[in-house]
Parts: sequence; C-alpha cells; structure tokens
Amino acid sequence: MEKSRDDFVIAIRSAFLKKETQQRFSLLALIFFSIIFLILGSFNFKSVDYLKITLKDIVYRVSFIASVPENFVKKNYSTLNNHFNLYDQNKKNILKIESLQLKDLTKKIITLENIKYKKLIDDYFIKVNETYAKVLIDKQSPFLRSVIINKGSKNNIKQGMIALDEEYLVGKVVEVNFLTSRVLLISDINSKIPVTLQPGDKQAIMSGLDFQKGVLQYTKDKELNTYDKDLLVLTSGAGGIFKSGIPIGKIKVAENILDKNDKVVHFFKDFSQLQYVKIVSYSKESGTIDMSSKLTTKMMNDKIAETNQQNENLRILIEQKKIAEDIKKKIEEENDILKNENIFLQNALLTEQKINLENENEIEEIKFFKLKKIYAVKCKKTFYNKLYKEGTKEYRNCILKKGIVKN
Amino acid sequence: MNNINNYNLLGKIYRYMPMTILFLSVLNEIDFNNLGLKYFSFNFSYILIFYYSVKKSKGLGYGLIFIAGLFNDAVVGIPIGISSLSYLILCGAAAYLRNITLRPSLMKDWIFFLISLFIVNSISFLILTLIFNYEISFLDQIINIIFTFLFFPFFSYIFSFIEGTMIGRVYVK
Repeated sequence: MEKSRDDFVIAIRSAFLKKETQQRFSLLALIFFSIIFLILGSFNFKSVDYLKITLKDIVYRVSFIASVPENFVKKNYSTLNNHFNLYDQNKKNILKIESLQLKDLTKKIITLENIKYKKLIDDYFIKVNETYAKVLIDKQSPFLRSVIINKGSKNNIKQGMIALDEEYLVGKVVEVNFLTSRVLLISDINSKIPVTLQPGDKQAIMSGLDFQKGVLQYTKDKELNTYDKDLLVLTSGAGGIFKSGIPIGKIKVAENILDKNDKVVHFFKDFSQLQYVKIVSYSKESGTIDMSSKLTTKMMNDKIAETNQQNENLRILIEQKKIAEDIKKKIEEENDILKNENIFLQNALLTEQKINLENENEIEEIKFFKLKKIYAVKCKKTFYNKLYKEGTKEYRNCILKKGIVKN
Repeated sequence: MNNINNYNLLGKIYRYMPMTILFLSVLNEIDFNNLGLKYFSFNFSYILIFYYSVKKSKGLGYGLIFIAGLFNDAVVGIPIGISSLSYLILCGAAAYLRNITLRPSLMKDWIFFLISLFIVNSISFLILTLIFNYEISFLDQIINIIFTFLFFPFFSYIFSFIEGTMIGRVYVK
C-alpha cells in the first residue's frame, strides 16, 4: 500500500517537475504562469491590459496571415459557385428589383414620417460615428461567437458601439485594442438583446442560439402562436444600448406553432459570410419644437409630399406597363390563331389542287380511250404501213390529234 | 551523402510537424471545435497534444504549448491563460501516463485520455462559468468531449502512419 503511494508520488513528481534537456521551464512552472495570467486578467491592471492588447494585436495579425491560404480557397469556391448560379440569380433579381422599387419609395415615406414623429417625442437618434471595418478573423469558438475587425482605438472605436451589416444588426464591440477590436455576434449565447416583435409591439430579450438563430428568453406575452404572419424582430432600444428599430430577424409562424416553448428567431444575415461590417454609434438629437424645428417639419412634409408624388407616378407607370403587357399578350394570341388558320387554308388549297390535277389526268385518259376506239386504225403500225407502235408517245399524240399528223 | 541530407530534411520536418500543426490549428479560421454543426465538434488540439506528449515527449515543447494556448485564447476571445492551463494539464496527464506505462497500448491511452478530457474540460468549464461568468452550453461540451474521445484512435493511427512512412522510408534508404 505504502509502496504504491510512493510510486504515484514519484510518477506525478516526475511528470510535473522533471525538465527535459532542451526545456527551460517545468510543467508545473508553466501551469503556475497560466494561473497567474488568469488571475491578473480578472483584475483591471493597466500594465496587464497593455500587455494583453499588444499580445492580441500581434496574434490577430498573425492569425490573419495564417488564414490567407484558407480564405483564398474559400473565396474562390464562393466565386465559382456564384458564377454557376449567375443566370438563375439574374432572373430572380430582375423580378425582385421591380417589386422592390415600389416598396423602396413606400419605405422612404414611412421613414420620413417616422423621423418626424420621433422628433416630436424627442426620441430621434442620429449616427455620430460611422466606420467601415474589415473582418480579420472569423474563428468561432464554443465559448464565444465573435469576429475580429481591423479597426481599434486608433480609429475611434469604443466599447459598446454597434456592428451592422448593411442595415442589419450583427453585434456589439466588446473589446477594443489599439489596432483591432472584437465584435460579439448576436448569435452568441452571452449576448442579450432587448427586442420588440412586430406586429403587436411585444417586448422580449433575445439570446444567441445557433449560427443562424437566436431565441427569445423573456417574453412578456407567451401567446405568440395566435399570429398568422411571420413576426419581425427589431431592437427595442430598451436600456439605451441599441437604437430602436434595427432589424434582426423573424420568427416563422409554422415553427412557432410546432415549437411552443422556444421562440426561435431566424437572423436576416448569414454571420459566416461576414467580410465587412459597419461600426456605428448613435446619440439622441435634441429636438424641441421651436421655430427651426417647425421649419424642419415643414421641409419634411414637403419632402414626404414630393416622395408621395413620385410613388404615385411610379405606380401609374407600373400599371401602364402591366396594361401594355396584357395587350401585347392578347395580340400575340390572336396572331397565333390567325397563323394557324392560314396554315390550315394553305393545306386545304394544296389538297384541292392535287385532286384537280388527278381529275384532269383522268379526263385526258378517258378522251384518249374514246378516240383510240375510232382512230386506232389510222395510227397503229402494221406490217403494211409505217405508222406508230402502240404504247409510244407518238401513238398517243396521233390518237389525240385524230389521225396522222403531217410535219 | 544525399541520403543523409534527405534524412536531415525529413527528420526536421517530422520533428517540427506536431508544433506546426498545433499552431496552424490554433491560428487558422477552420476550427474542428466549432464546425457549425449542431451535434458535432471535437478538440483537435487536445488529441494532438495528448498523442505527442504520450508517444514522443520531445515532439512538443511545453513552452511552445503554453504559447499556443495563449494564442488560442487571444484568437477565440476567452480569458487569456485558460487554454494554456488546459493544454498543460493534458501534458501533465500524458507525462504521468508515460511514466507509469511499461507496455504501451492504445486502449489504455484511450481510456486515460477520456479521464484527462473530463478533468481538463471540467476545470476550464468551472473557471469560465464561476469566475468569468460565461454562459456555456453543457450539451455542447459533452458532445465535444465524446467526439474528441472517439476520434483519438483515428488520429493516433494517422499520426503513427505519417511517422511510419516518413521516418521508415528514410531508414530504408
């Protein structure tokens, strides 16, 4: 018993304390170093922060360089894939553009009206800082779903700024280094976003679930299954972290009915395809109702009216285009019918001509046989005359001309 | 002379291969730890470190493993020191196994690897949740441990195959 304990101690001591020939530190020393790093990291010492920032900046750059071949392959694969899908995509895009043109104008009107009303209630946020950043590293971990961007405190990036892809919410800046920053994606389990569900204006808190999904954790109204349309998920602006109305995703009705416990949010953006993000911060615009704001309101009203007019014009044009297309379609149909009739008549004419020809031949034959009975003696070759042999062309001519034809 | 040069070159490649693979797996964007599949992930670094620490103690230096851990933490975005600690505990477990083993067998290594995985993951899980207040999916962790455990013999075979073909050929020459 005593011996086996000794063996265990010796083996452990050898494993953790023994140094190999080329090793400078024992395993135990390095484990202590790691623990010291962890302890120092949990406190906010300035010197340690600087060390961490420097280390992270270097590691991010090295990781970016190490990922170049892999990114090259990924990019080429994506390009090739897009190339093959180009034709189908183009057809779809043309259809989409037509429908979106009309929606765009309607959206403009609603936005302008929205701004007007928000200004009235003193809740209008404006962008104060907007920077575009490239995604350097997109290495996801089981602990943290985040991306590294190539802008840091040098570019006025601050902790808490919002990351957008187009106008969709991507995440929040959680770590700022001198040259780089880390954006915590909304798909991370640790990100808690105050959201509002539209239509219905239901308030909730959303957390990350999956690469493409989030989940509503705290919903005031549990009975969301009564809705027959997909629910839009937008930031609510509660808590003042995010501006209200930034689109995030949607809750599909079909899934909602099936799964009553978890309200799964499908994000609008694919976070695995992020290349560039927009880092923005918002601040509230002070807008009291004075003379200048009245002027602004008037200007906005004019703008709304102008946009409304444009919208109407566009609608009329689209209607006209539709009518023209209908007429074109009808003419084409009539044209097809006429073409078919023409072909049918031509066929009938040809058949008639054929029958006529056959009849003419028959009539000629009958005439020939009738004349043959009478004039055969005058045309037929015998041993005492030099007329025509029966069956020849000359014999037939002779019969038809009622006797011998002298040259 | 040519053979000696070949030996040196292949020997050097083989010597630095585990470390190169470890650093590439840590720095690259492709991470087996998070492939985007819901019920599939495994920790390739753990397999690599454990295999080379058990089989060839000089294959991976502790100092470089420590640095690789720091790099991994920086890239992944978790508190700096956790991966280093996990890697080094794994190295310690492997070194202990190497010391007590008289007749090496894959089955024993495999079982010991499972125990080590439980210890290492429990430590990192506790540190992240209790000290740093991270929210971690317990199910994901279990899946990760199971697949890391299941893939160990497969990668052991691949590593020993590479060793056999590279070093074996040099000696045959």
